[in-house]
Amino acid sequence: MTVALPEQRFPGRILPVTLPAGPGGSPVTVGGQNALPCTPEGERPNLPAVGMEVRTGAEELPPSLRSAIGELAADPVSLARRCVSEWGARFLFLDLSLCHPDSGGRSVADGAALAREVLDAVPAPVIVGGCGDEEVDARLFPAVAEAAPRPVFLSYAEEKNYRLLAGAALAYGHGLVSWSPIDINMAKQINLLLADLGFPADRVIMDPLTGGLGYGLEYTCSIVERIRLSGLQGDAMLARPVLCHLGDAWKAREASDASETSWGDADRRGRRWEETTGLACLAAGADLLVCRHPGNVARLSGAAWR
Amino acid sequence: MPDAGAGVVRFFPEGIDVPLSPGDSLLAHALRAGVPLLAPCGGESRCGKCRVGVAGAVKGGDDPGVLSPAERAAGIRLACRCVPLSGKVSVTVLPESRPARLAAYLDGKDMAGDGPFLPLQRAAAGCRPFGVALDLGTSTLAGALVDLSDGAVLARASSDNPQMACGEDLISRVVFAEETPGGFEFLRERLLRGVENLVARLLSRTDLRGEVTDVCAAGNTVISHVLYGLDPSPIRRPPYRPVQKEYPVATGRALGIAAAPDAQWRIFPSLGGFVGGDVVADILASGMHRDEEVSLLFDVGTNGEVALGNRDWRIACSSSAGPAFEGGDIGCGMRAYPGAIESVRIDRATGVPSFTVIGRGRPAGLCGSGILDLCAEMFRAGLVDRAGRFARRGDAPLRSTDRGEAYVVVPADRSATGREVTLCEADLKSILRTKAALCAAAEAMLRAVGLPLGSVARVYVAGGFGNFLDLRSALTIGLFPPFPLPRFLPLGNASLAGAIGALRNRRRWKEALELAPATLYHDLSSDPAFMELYQRALFLPHTDEEGYRAALAGTGAAT
Amino acid sequence: MALTALEIYKLLPKTNCKDCGFPTCLAFAMQMAAGKATVELCPHASEEAKETLGSAAAPPLPKVTIGTGRDEVILGDETVLFRHEKTFYHPTAIAVSVSDDLPPDAFGERLRAIRALSFERVGQRIGVDLVALRCGSGDPVAYAKAAAAALEATGLPLVLLAPPGPLAAAADAVEGSRPLLAPPAADLGAAAKMAAERKLPLRVRADGIGGLYDALRAARAAGAKELVADPAPGDSRGAVEGSVQIRRLAILSRNRDLACPTAFDLGEPFPEPFGTAALLIPKYGSLLVLDTADPADILPLLTLRQNVFTDPQRPIQVEPGVYAVGNVTSSSPVLITTNFSLTYFTVRGDVEASRVPAYLLIADVDGMSVLTAWAAGKFTGESIAKMLSGCGIGEKVGHRTLILPGMVARLSGRIEELSSWRVLVGPQESSAIPPYLRRLPPAAFLPANA
Repeated sequence: MTVALPEQRFPGRILPVTLPAGPGGSPVTVGGQNALPCTPEGERPNLPAVGMEVRTGAEELPPSLRSAIGELAADPVSLARRCVSEWGARFLFLDLSLCHPDSGGRSVADGAALAREVLDAVPAPVIVGGCGDEEVDARLFPAVAEAAPRPVFLSYAEEKNYRLLAGAALAYGHGLVSWSPIDINMAKQINLLLADLGFPADRVIMDPLTGGLGYGLEYTCSIVERIRLSGLQGDAMLARPVLCHLGDAWKAREASDASETSWGDADRRGRRWEETTGLACLAAGADLLVCRHPGNVARLSGAAWR
Repeated sequence: MPDAGAGVVRFFPEGIDVPLSPGDSLLAHALRAGVPLLAPCGGESRCGKCRVGVAGAVKGGDDPGVLSPAERAAGIRLACRCVPLSGKVSVTVLPESRPARLAAYLDGKDMAGDGPFLPLQRAAAGCRPFGVALDLGTSTLAGALVDLSDGAVLARASSDNPQMACGEDLISRVVFAEETPGGFEFLRERLLRGVENLVARLLSRTDLRGEVTDVCAAGNTVISHVLYGLDPSPIRRPPYRPVQKEYPVATGRALGIAAAPDAQWRIFPSLGGFVGGDVVADILASGMHRDEEVSLLFDVGTNGEVALGNRDWRIACSSSAGPAFEGGDIGCGMRAYPGAIESVRIDRATGVPSFTVIGRGRPAGLCGSGILDLCAEMFRAGLVDRAGRFARRGDAPLRSTDRGEAYVVVPADRSATGREVTLCEADLKSILRTKAALCAAAEAMLRAVGLPLGSVARVYVAGGFGNFLDLRSALTIGLFPPFPLPRFLPLGNASLAGAIGALRNRRRWKEALELAPATLYHDLSSDPAFMELYQRALFLPHTDEEGYRAALAGTGAAT
Repeated sequence: MALTALEIYKLLPKTNCKDCGFPTCLAFAMQMAAGKATVELCPHASEEAKETLGSAAAPPLPKVTIGTGRDEVILGDETVLFRHEKTFYHPTAIAVSVSDDLPPDAFGERLRAIRALSFERVGQRIGVDLVALRCGSGDPVAYAKAAAAALEATGLPLVLLAPPGPLAAAADAVEGSRPLLAPPAADLGAAAKMAAERKLPLRVRADGIGGLYDALRAARAAGAKELVADPAPGDSRGAVEGSVQIRRLAILSRNRDLACPTAFDLGEPFPEPFGTAALLIPKYGSLLVLDTADPADILPLLTLRQNVFTDPQRPIQVEPGVYAVGNVTSSSPVLITTNFSLTYFTVRGDVEASRVPAYLLIADVDGMSVLTAWAAGKFTGESIAKMLSGCGIGEKVGHRTLILPGMVARLSGRIEELSSWRVLVGPQESSAIPPYLRRLPPAAFLPANA
């Protein structure tokens, strides 16, 4: 028997956004779909892309990451190369936490120089994240924007700093990640503020803040679903690709505590924790995922069919 | 007996003396002396508005964060923090710290007042029967004297609610009543005396001789409780229920009011803890309870209330909006008295303001309509972004102060107070919260019943402020949902109008008693959609800004 | 589509008689629209109202129960496609498999391992819900014995994955425990009869939606009532799309023939069982059979399920307690605020921006903002004094100075009265925290001498 299957058709379409690559690299384009994830209908010219984070500040790695990338932890440039050439990351998220007063306190010039080095070393698209200290970032982003030899995305613009970031990005042709704290209204508000400054919409991706598995992930999933539904229903300010940074998954005790033997092997558990977080984000509609475990690039990419 | 060294505090310009009570603040002395002194925060030293000029031995009240070195040198102190020590202490209440009175709070439209004259009281033998209509507001007590032999309004008067000294907002007052020994009695006493004085003033304004036989009073639930002698405490705690919603008729004597001891006092029934009889009187005056079409009613006062419905069903809520549009919570805010800036325009090219002042004197501060205009103009001129952050531009008089970025409306040398009249970023955030709460309250109710914006045929705006606000400015900052301008109908003091209507026609009092239990009280704190709608409205004009563009352009998206 | 409150109201008598227990007809209608009341509460409702509102209220996805008593598992009975629209009610059931042909020791060990897959998380017990018993032996006697042993050892309801002979034997052996019968696709007819006779739930497995349509009809024709649908996917994508389609047929198309809870056997040789399970938990899978009993696999899946099946209308709250921001020392300032997430994120961000390491006390006020919590009597001098003495901040810092939000300055006296702490009134706006903290003289936070 042939059953008439329901389809959800929408008037809107997610704006395609391209993360530009360096010479010899492949740019990453996401967006362009006019349908919900995990459904057969509609057009979806671009699949979700999985990238890897390259951290630069001093930090203690959970067991699962220590065994996978521990030897490269102090060498971000080599780590960046391996992420792309060996583990299949389609883009990199370079986190300049080395400039944070609590995790190295290196100068803004050092941060910008490192960004430049990574951009020269790998051809993949790069998103450059700040160090998280408001005052340092206010100097760091303009320095990175100027030092970058090719277009990158700066992460992230929020209500407090959007003028500064938009100015730096506009001056040198970079894109922006617009950030909001798990709130669909604030997600739209920051995009409206950027639009008021004349920032080009096709150079903005949204980061709605990803809670880790067990620690607020469900809120993120619902916000991503709602952003996607609103965008498809015609709200242009929300019809944008969504990035989910899975870093918070590693902050969960379950992802790192080796002493709880009843929870199983900490190495496998940590990897699974990040993988599960990423899969839930994909099911909700994420277009870009940033993971840290090399093994999860392939696993998450394998589920990025939708 | 006080000993020979006991001091005295004399308040100017009244020249009232009060014995010096060691350890008590000047504000406490003023309260005792009955000297009107603004203390919107209830004497918590938060607002910095109770400024007085002092001569004599005092200590404290010279907070450098609030007062400039020049002010301190000139003997200006904060009355809530300043303690007289001994001897003779002279205290001058500065003009901006003095509550004034204005008729603006009195006029209201009665959209449904077309019925026959059927007074509550048939003329009694011997004397002319008077009725008194009262609107007991959080900040203002307003009243009207009605000749019950023909329905004519003989006089109107208003005064500040003397409970202001116990806190500007209702919750502060309930807390005051709970935490101060004898607090409830004090709070009630101030209300009763305030009402007595108001009734006496009304009677003094007519040459006719008569006797007050009936009083109709509309007030929020806390004031109604206090007036009726009920403990308002339960109202502030979950589940936020009043002790009772209806107040059986009582004589003035039974209530403890000497002004009209034999009159029958009728207090409008409350809808819930935070929506009171004043809103019932608003509804009565608007006539929305008689229409088939759906109306929305805003009461923009110290607390914002919203009602939605038609002749069959109604729902009402309190928006928990702050008093920003009454001048509270705003550094240079004041009420609509002489000296208040009531409208503002900003030159788009230069960013420089021009304004009009009530009474045409030197400006002392900003009242609600001026605040609303100023925000809208700053936004239109690009001096403020959608999130309420200031942006420096051109010659606009923006500068950094210790309260953050501030826009200078009037420089110090041109103001009535010798201090700048400014609006700072924190003020704007406070306004943003107030307007978001009001707008989101309306949206939450529409959503709760499942109606689109377009199904609302009329939007009534009640409250003294409603008479003067510029609707375009209101929509520019998103004070209301985006209805087309022609749908708005300002009502002014509709509570008082409703109370007058009830005095003139006993059928309308019956209507009020019937409409109240059929009007559902919607508790926004337990409405899961409200917080999100609030966040959505916390933007200029609104996160869903498309509708506002259409409403302001007159294309009427919400039709 | 669900009716709005006003649409429901129009069907009611509009008398505000209060016989339903609500203050007005509109209040009752709003409760019905929210799914919190049914039309039966109104004694005066017209027949038309009862009919319209009765069917509008019936869940589009039927309910199926497996097991009995405390460990009963409920599948289906869902009303929405997205959790934010209301909530997801019945968590995806997780079954871990065991085969009846394992050597006795290994069989017992496996059951113990399954039983151990139960964890305490944020005050809730989360664990595997069912044991899926595979029939490797083909022998009805051995299979029945294994079923009884599995039930005995774990107490969990069973999914019986077996052909008709062993299925019947096992169903008899565990009579009264209400297992789910899960025959191979080819044996549907016999198993459907068995399910009808014994009044047991039945898993119907067939290829794709079209195959399921026919198979479900056949099962119903044989008298089976409580049905669970398995579209027999070959890979992860097939499983997720099948699950989505069945749910949409139920919710959007109101297709009564295909409206069933779903089941997916992700055991050997299904590719990527873990990833498929993680996608099916948010994407409408009702029952998943897994071969893995590794807690490192099961714990993340159970945690995801716990996350997805929470009420989304609960405000986001932050765990109350003491939070260190930056490299704190015993003379770092101590600030207090409430556990409403936006309040917390804002204050924390502003404390971070100050670059002054500080302790942040997050008070438990049920996720209200500072002013709301104060107004509701949840953020009081008493509650703050209690927190100061009970949260352990006294051991972390040498001083006794608390920075209170400026909005609730009035609480300072009461706090000082009830605790040994001195109170500084902080700014009213969180955004003023950075300059405020930087301006504070360090002497304010030296160890208390007294």
